[in-house]
Amino acid sequence: MLILVVDDEPQIRKLLQTGLSGYGYQVITAANGQEALTAVAQRQPNAVILDISLGSEPDGLDVCRRLREWSQVPIVMLSVRSGETSKVAALDAGADDYLTKPFGMEELRARIQAVLRRASMEPASSPTAVIHSGDLMIDLANRRVTVNQQEVHFTPFEYDILRLLATHPGQIMTHQTILAQVWGSDYQDMTHYIRIYVNQIRKKLGENPAANLRYILTEPGIGYRFVERHPKP
Amino acid sequence: MKKQIQGRWALRPFSFLLAFLVVSVITAGFWWLREDLTLANISLIYIIGTFVVAVWLGTGPSLAAAFYTFFCFNFFLIKPYYTLKVEDPRELIDLLVYLLVAVIASQLAAYAREQAEAARRHAAEQNILYSLSSAFNQLTDQASISQTLEQQLPVYLPVSQVEMLPEAEKNAYTGRPDDEPTTSYLILQTGDTIYGTLRVVFTAVPTDSQMRLLMACTVQAAMALQRIQLTESAQRSHTLEEADRLKTALLRAVSHDLRTPLTIIKTSADNLIDLHTRLPEAEQLEMIQTISSEADHLNLLVGNLLDMSRLQAGAMTINRHWNTLEEVAGDVAARVWQRHQAERLWLNFPDDYPLAQFDYGLVLQAVSNVVENALRYEPPTSLVEIRGESDAAEVRLLMINHGPTIPDELKEQVMAPFFHGKDGRIGLGLAISKGIVDLHHGRMWVEDTPNGGATFVLALPREGSTPPLREGVS
Repeated sequence: MLILVVDDEPQIRKLLQTGLSGYGYQVITAANGQEALTAVAQRQPNAVILDISLGSEPDGLDVCRRLREWSQVPIVMLSVRSGETSKVAALDAGADDYLTKPFGMEELRARIQAVLRRASMEPASSPTAVIHSGDLMIDLANRRVTVNQQEVHFTPFEYDILRLLATHPGQIMTHQTILAQVWGSDYQDMTHYIRIYVNQIRKKLGENPAANLRYILTEPGIGYRFVERHPKP
Repeated sequence: MKKQIQGRWALRPFSFLLAFLVVSVITAGFWWLREDLTLANISLIYIIGTFVVAVWLGTGPSLAAAFYTFFCFNFFLIKPYYTLKVEDPRELIDLLVYLLVAVIASQLAAYAREQAEAARRHAAEQNILYSLSSAFNQLTDQASISQTLEQQLPVYLPVSQVEMLPEAEKNAYTGRPDDEPTTSYLILQTGDTIYGTLRVVFTAVPTDSQMRLLMACTVQAAMALQRIQLTESAQRSHTLEEADRLKTALLRAVSHDLRTPLTIIKTSADNLIDLHTRLPEAEQLEMIQTISSEADHLNLLVGNLLDMSRLQAGAMTINRHWNTLEEVAGDVAARVWQRHQAERLWLNFPDDYPLAQFDYGLVLQAVSNVVENALRYEPPTSLVEIRGESDAAEVRLLMINHGPTIPDELKEQVMAPFFHGKDGRIGLGLAISKGIVDLHHGRMWVEDTPNGGATFVLALPREGSTPPLREGVS
């Protein structure tokens, strides 16, 4: 597996290279946007780790947008903590995920693994008929949901949101995506719908975040993520 | 002045008629008694008449009355009657002396009258300026001054339009342009400072006294604008002082609290470099873990310092959307589990807990700081409770800890920036929470937990009604 690391800080490039090599990845690096574009074209990496601020033109978001014009390579963007707007911009530019600096290497590895797995599944995207996550079971064919073998009733909107999240495990579904997919494009300002429905869904699923029983994760100000692999009890 | 008097004559032909009427009535009386009265009687009474006319009707009518009297006196009352001839030369002297006295008397009377009128006008102007300046005194911004001028000037002066132009036009016009004789441009100025230009459109060409009044009003407005500017700059300097005080505290905190983790990291790393081959593996690992956890602490501290300075500088932008504090609490609980790998919280929310408008990310941080603080003092055998409450005015989040009670005198202080806790580390977390809640026009305070402990309450206003929810086929 070949990973391209794009960052203008030589120290960070070096650290990521060492760290990721330790996990068995092959790593190439680029110090600016132009190098990154060239490297993707010539070496065709399996994933790109891209810093959002490269200190020169083109910046990380530009690189991401340009790559998306011709490449489907999974992109994980790195940003310093500065709120939601840059993260939303990254996702809008076509990034698959993002991480906030500073982060743990274990976390970065998990994100890379997740985007790589999704990328490999992409061609055979025929949805599995049944989704399992911990005690939760969603039967897509029959629109049935059970928690602990007990059937739980969901309203059509609740079910549609749950299905959308569950069929994209580990992937961020932004508020806008959820609104557009479940309600239609006229409902872009109605984020409070999602708040209310997700709250209902969580209650019906019997989530207890204090005891780490969670199926849906909140990405503050951005959207939701279905827990990818909930440990089997 | 002359122009004004002419104007008044033209306007008041009625006063001339009155003057003629008075003289005619007196003359008619004399005509009936003319054989019984001496010329001296007649001329004295005539002078009284002329005097009355002068005081009552002013210079013009009184002069006209004097000459008309002169004619009537001669024509009707001096022999030979009904001619302008005078038989006796002594009577001619009487007649001429009467005329002279009448003219002088009328002038004096009219002068006194005008003085009185001027004094009255002056008093009225003073009154207007007084009420205008008291109206200005209560105002605190330029827009309301401009609004007051627009409302009040048409009451005092015959103007149809009042407008305050921005400073930029100060050189464009001054005074009255020739092509617009009814429009006046006046600069609002105190000393060297110019606050703008006042454009006033009169319904007719303004008189000198109207212009004088307008200028006086302009001065009042300029003084009010100056006062506002001085108040604002005083406030600004107060804010700067406050910022300066915080900067000092910040520098102190940075030098002490940032250096501690840095020192630990540096020492651990150096030890590893110098001694790594000689150290047992377990100790090496311990040092590496120390480096990692101190780096996390440092990261938290830097983030907090950054947030604090953003809050203090008013540079924090908030994106308010409809959200629920229940979701925030759930998020915090999940993070707490991640960090402690154990169940340390108990979430307790009613089913009908309402939404409120707030910035999810910021409020998450506010709640997270308070909960982390509560956990630090929570006995290991109990859970921190996060309870949701609401009424018509606000939604509240109670973070209930069962550890030590905070003394009343410290209840406010624990939420102040750089409060030093028992562990000696600076407290910024609660101050940031308070700052974020303040940004949302909410409230945050500490209560005692009934059986010991501190309960932090975070309350956000329920502004606006909850948006409608269109449920589909359910």
